[in-house]
Amino acid sequence: MSEKAERDKKAIATFYAELNRFGQNGEYERAIKTANKILNLAQHEFLAFHYKVVCLIELSKFDEAIRLLNGNAQFDGELIFEKAYCFYRANKHEDALKTIDQLPELDLRSKELKAQIFYRLEKYDEAAALYREIIKNTDDDYEDERHTNLGAVMVHLDDEDTKDRIE
Amino acid sequence: LPPAMEPIPAKPLFYDLALNFVELPDLTEKLEGGQKKEKGAGISGFVKGLWGWGKK
Repeated sequence: MSEKAERDKKAIATFYAELNRFGQNGEYERAIKTANKILNLAQHEFLAFHYKVVCLIELSKFDEAIRLLNGNAQFDGELIFEKAYCFYRANKHEDALKTIDQLPELDLRSKELKAQIFYRLEKYDEAAALYREIIKNTDDDYEDERHTNLGAVMVHLDDEDTKDRIE
Repeated sequence: LPPAMEPIPAKPLFYDLALNFVELPDLTEKLEGGQKKEKGAGISGFVKGLWGWGKK
């Protein structure tokens, strides 16, 4: 290994330690700067890329996260959940649905997100079905909130019958 | 006189639960102690210290 490569490797290890510290402390702006330092030395470092995307989400910079995800062909097909979530928060619900449906199989968090996307797209039947499935198959700290969401979906189902829609 | 109060439909509460599942990835494999794949010391001793290795 050349001297430069060895030096970069050491630097990257140091940056990862820094990245970890910033992330744990919720210092997302600084974490992004450190992730950039890693990616400047080694653009294939997927963990640094992943970290940066999540930090942008934590900072509510959804458009920037989408640009980053779209601009990296090498990581295409990765971070589908995160990408769909960014579209969802950027109010691009059709894109969010298309993205989440790229997953061959939906895990719990992807179903959760998809149910929320259905809600925003006013696909209340689909949302209700998904929530019922999620509630049946989970046991975590969010059961109450999930029932609240299902309740919100049901309100709209009732409204559709009476054509008295809530805006 | 103020106009009579009228009931209006309430916008139902709806939580963003998916946000709770957006998590920072685990960096253990990149941190000290997680470097299982390290092969021999090579010339690493030669450049040690250049980056303040070990200093915190």
